[in-house]
Amino acid sequence: MIFMREWKRNMKSLLVWIAVLGGLVLLTLSVFPQFAEQQKEMTKLIESLPKSMVKAFGMDQLNIGDLMGYYGVRVYMMTTLLGSIYAAILGANIVAKEESEKTIEFLLSKPLTRSRIITEKWLVVVVNIFALNAAAVLASFFGFHIAKGYEVSIKTFVLLTTATILLHVTFGAVAFLLSTMMRKTRNTLSISLGLVLVAYFLHVMAGISEDLEFLKYFTPFKYVDAAPIINNKQLEPLYVFIMAAVILFSVVMSYVVYKKKDIVV
Amino acid sequence: MNVVDIRQLTKMYKKNRGIEDITFSIEEGEIFGFIGPNGAGKSTTIRTLLNFIYPTSGSATIFGKDIVKDAKEIRQHVGYLPSEIHYYDDMKVIDLLTYSARFYKANEQRIKTLAERLDLDLHKKIEDLSFGNRKKVGIVQALLHEPKLLILDEPTNGLDPLMQNTFFELLFEERKKGATIFFSSHILSEVQKLCDRVAIIKEGKLVQVETVEHLTKKNLKYVTVVLEQGTQPDVHLDGVVKKEVKGNEITLLYKGDVKQLIHQLDRLPLKDVVISEPTLEDIFLHYYEK
Repeated sequence: MIFMREWKRNMKSLLVWIAVLGGLVLLTLSVFPQFAEQQKEMTKLIESLPKSMVKAFGMDQLNIGDLMGYYGVRVYMMTTLLGSIYAAILGANIVAKEESEKTIEFLLSKPLTRSRIITEKWLVVVVNIFALNAAAVLASFFGFHIAKGYEVSIKTFVLLTTATILLHVTFGAVAFLLSTMMRKTRNTLSISLGLVLVAYFLHVMAGISEDLEFLKYFTPFKYVDAAPIINNKQLEPLYVFIMAAVILFSVVMSYVVYKKKDIVV
Repeated sequence: MNVVDIRQLTKMYKKNRGIEDITFSIEEGEIFGFIGPNGAGKSTTIRTLLNFIYPTSGSATIFGKDIVKDAKEIRQHVGYLPSEIHYYDDMKVIDLLTYSARFYKANEQRIKTLAERLDLDLHKKIEDLSFGNRKKVGIVQALLHEPKLLILDEPTNGLDPLMQNTFFELLFEERKKGATIFFSSHILSEVQKLCDRVAIIKEGKLVQVETVEHLTKKNLKYVTVVLEQGTQPDVHLDGVVKKEVKGNEITLLYKGDVKQLIHQLDRLPLKDVVISEPTLEDIFLHYYEK
């Protein structure tokens, strides 16, 4: 019941995000054929760019003239970053909103356990993240179709998508935990969004300079970096384990925190 | 058996005062008032009973079940009307009530019946409703599943007198069906009109539990008398606890039988008289201050 209610309530924003992300993916992929034709000049252009910038976006390890490489550099950045922002906003809002808007008094007076509330709301977060990713995958396939004649490795694509979803669920779970701990969506939202943006910034910084490379351990964006996935055709098990652990911890803690919370509105 | 049984219930907050060592019980079929000034701990008690907040110590049962462990089973048969109504702004009245009914698997037909009684438009958006109309949504929401126990926090706040009457009628009907009603208020006359017994709370502590009859015997009234010009304003009445003279206008706090008061007033050269409810603070000051 709560699931259906939250699903409907978040539908509008999901559709907007699908339209924006899907549109961007499609648009970016649809210009690939022209891009590939001018590849030679492009390669020259990339060579003329500052080394650090090329490195920051992983263009030194990926061949941007190849469709998968192009996807890894241009499209993957959008799906990972924008999707993470979406997941963070969704997770940060979904529990704290009830307290922020004082509707929790209504919900808590119903014959429900608090665990039930958490379960249904968490499911909504996960399902929405999957829905957004499904839309991005569809848009990508359309994009690949436009660029027919160029080679697409389905296995690599599946790996990249898996990594993206893991990343989104990780941010969603952390934001969700914050949402159960705090009372104001103002706070949960700004912290969650801050986390995503700082993580992304660290990822870029770690790419730029060798001295800052240690930063990569602190950002999940590094865990899902496109270049190693495309080049090695596998996800680094350690990174997958770390993300799974963060997700598990956050979700379990959400139950614990929410069960013990004094809810005063 | 007692429907509600509260034993030494204590809730301490870090900053604010909570409630301390509250003990009382409510019998089946009773209309029980919970009265005290704002901030005395009425809402804290109610929220602890509903397990929105956890007790620091002590315990309580509703229908013989523990308020913390069996919260879910208890709520199946409890109707709760919060003092301030906050609902999902994007919903229409009917959406919210249907949503609420489904949690109890309640008869959705009853929404219409109740809405008609209270003259509530089901197809308006909740965010467009006035304060009083929101309260009505809250009332329907609380009565909808015909609960065995109604917990009402300042229920009449925001209802116009006509609606209050309809609301009281509805409460009496529920009681006839066997419901127990527990409601808080800071208005004494309201409690006197409805309740069988009342618990009085002040600064987080229970002062007294007594029958309304008893409370009414201790009748305390505010009396303002305006005397004819030029008469001696020095009036002595029996039972006056506090007196203030301003020209030919005298304000009295009277304690005792109302008939006696009228009797005594009758002998005065009156121009005007106003008899009104004392504030709760006055009652505490003159009865429960030790």
